[in-house]
Amino acid sequence: MRAPLRSWSATLCAVTFCLFVATTLLYIWENKHRAVLSQTVTNSGWVAYQAQLEHVKSAAAIEHAKDHFTPQVVADLALRLEILRSRLPILYASEEGRILPEIAAMQPALQAYERLLDRMIDELPALHPPDAGTPEMLARWASALAPLGPELQTVLMASVAYNNSLFERERTLATQLAIVPLALLFLSGTSLVAMLLLQSRRDTARIAEVERARRAIADMEGNLRGVIQAAPTAMAVIDPSRNAVRFVNPAAAQMVAGSLDHPDWKRLIEVAAQDVRTGDAEGATVKMALTKANGDVISLRGHLCPVTWEGRPQVLVVMIDTTRAQHADLQSLQAAKLAALGEMANALSHEINQPLAVIRMAVANAHRHLETEGARDAVAAKLERVSTQVDRAKRIIEQVRHYGRLPSGTAEIFPLGQAIELAAGSVAEQYRSAGIRLALQLDLPPEHTVSGDRAMLEHVIVNLLVNARDAFALQDDTRPRTVWLRAQAQEGRAVIEVEDAAGGISDDLMSRIFEPFSTTKVAQKGTGLGLALARSVVRDMNGQIMAENMRYGACFTLVLPLAPAAASSAEREAA
Amino acid sequence: MIREPSILICDDEADLAGELGEFFAACGWRAMVHTSAPDALEALHAGAAPTCLLTDLRVGHFSGAELVSATRRLPNQLQPLIYCIMTGHVLDTTAAKDFGVDLLYLKPIDPDLVLSDIQSFLEDTFKLPTGT
Repeated sequence: MRAPLRSWSATLCAVTFCLFVATTLLYIWENKHRAVLSQTVTNSGWVAYQAQLEHVKSAAAIEHAKDHFTPQVVADLALRLEILRSRLPILYASEEGRILPEIAAMQPALQAYERLLDRMIDELPALHPPDAGTPEMLARWASALAPLGPELQTVLMASVAYNNSLFERERTLATQLAIVPLALLFLSGTSLVAMLLLQSRRDTARIAEVERARRAIADMEGNLRGVIQAAPTAMAVIDPSRNAVRFVNPAAAQMVAGSLDHPDWKRLIEVAAQDVRTGDAEGATVKMALTKANGDVISLRGHLCPVTWEGRPQVLVVMIDTTRAQHADLQSLQAAKLAALGEMANALSHEINQPLAVIRMAVANAHRHLETEGARDAVAAKLERVSTQVDRAKRIIEQVRHYGRLPSGTAEIFPLGQAIELAAGSVAEQYRSAGIRLALQLDLPPEHTVSGDRAMLEHVIVNLLVNARDAFALQDDTRPRTVWLRAQAQEGRAVIEVEDAAGGISDDLMSRIFEPFSTTKVAQKGTGLGLALARSVVRDMNGQIMAENMRYGACFTLVLPLAPAAASSAEREAA
Repeated sequence: MIREPSILICDDEADLAGELGEFFAACGWRAMVHTSAPDALEALHAGAAPTCLLTDLRVGHFSGAELVSATRRLPNQLQPLIYCIMTGHVLDTTAAKDFGVDLLYLKPIDPDLVLSDIQSFLEDTFKLPTGT
């Protein structure tokens, strides 16, 4: 409907414009033509009349000169002849001379009279009164000029006839031509009115459409509010510029707090305001731990989304209670760690049995020394050895206890280098037993810290190192049995690499290496959850984990953001 | 009767190897202590011919079982009379014959028990009291 209306309107607009232009042009042409006619009517015949009058005066002057040939008469005759001579070219050079064929045809004859008059004017000073031939000469001149009279009469009559025809045409124009501009003006006006009507109709249609859209939007807003109210997901609208919560749905009121001025909402507002200030509100993730009125601690995870609410730019926060999911993740991680600990049991027993064996032998030898006089120093040396070995066993137990503890699920800031060294220490004996060299290249000072769950990150590194160790079991022994564990700081981030020389990962597995239950290990080894959990842990630390095949094997790279203080320290060092 | 029984001890844990050597030396044995399997094998090739070979199951990157196997390929006069293995690892089996040795011990070992077992084995098998 709208397209034909628009087409009609455009056509009418064009037609109206053309009509106005045509009317204007016609008006201008008519005025100009009328001015030309008036001028022509005014001038027409006048020249012929003047020429005829001068011809009569010249003839009279010649006749007068025949009887009274005085210098004054001669001078008058010369003047008359000059005037007559000047009138003749005007006849054929005038408007009538160009338009009227009768006058144009007389041009040669008139030019002959011009030449005759020129000769008379030249000969007139040579005439003398006493000469007997002078009257005869003047009589011949009169005879020669006599036919010019009828010629001029003919011209005059043609001019008068032309003048009459012009007059008639002007009168016709005055009575007939005015109808055309009026008709054109009428058509223009009609077209303009039609165009305005069409425009009005189109505007009415558009207004109706806008009204329908407004009603639809209002309905949609009502439906959206209904959906938000009924949604089991917690939703809240926050105005960061005024540090206020504008709206919470029942789920949010139940999950966080019903009162909009509750301190927990203020914390959420601070997070949202921070993200808005940094321009991260679009899709930003919010993580919070809240203590409810009954003492339960819940974990919330949500997303921020900029919205226009009640005509103002605000932030919609959508949150879900991740307490159970996080608890399940922690349980999975713990199960994976315990599985790894089971795999490590053999190595751990060896690690602990070694100092115990030394202690046992040192004690046995010390007993023998006690039976000998003067063996005090030898016994003391044995006791020192025993003490050293006890410390060694204690360190091993602490490592196991540290590794096996339940993840806290909360973030802390900790030195990354220490965590990596501890993780490497946990697998050192396994590597030694398997005949694999673990090459450590750590370039992380103690002040380089990261934020996250330390136990989880240690488990991730141990998991990568155990995977690298197990990868050698699938390969032949010709490859160098070395695993490189590298760590360094780069531009505010820590980059940790675990690279092995065990042949790499197949292409089909590489594409899903971080998916749960993706493993190359035999069924008895591993849970298939290690790398999936590793990705989850690293993401929770706002980091990335990547896998790629290198020349001799696979390389896993972890990129973690350094904690702010550590990042600035690293930048200072780089500077 | 063996006038001076000898024992070749091989363990990459230097403190343990030293204590074992000291213990057996105090018991009248000639103790030869090595912390690497290649060194121990070289000594055996050189004619150490100990009465007893006591080795850790894993000596660095070397398996104690391999050391035992290599020693058994020596001429008879260079071979020990008794082979013993000790280990700190958890094993699926505790049968000494599964490792090709006469006695198997789990760390931490009781040195008096080890000495007693070796002496008994020598007496029972070879009728050779060690005199200690």
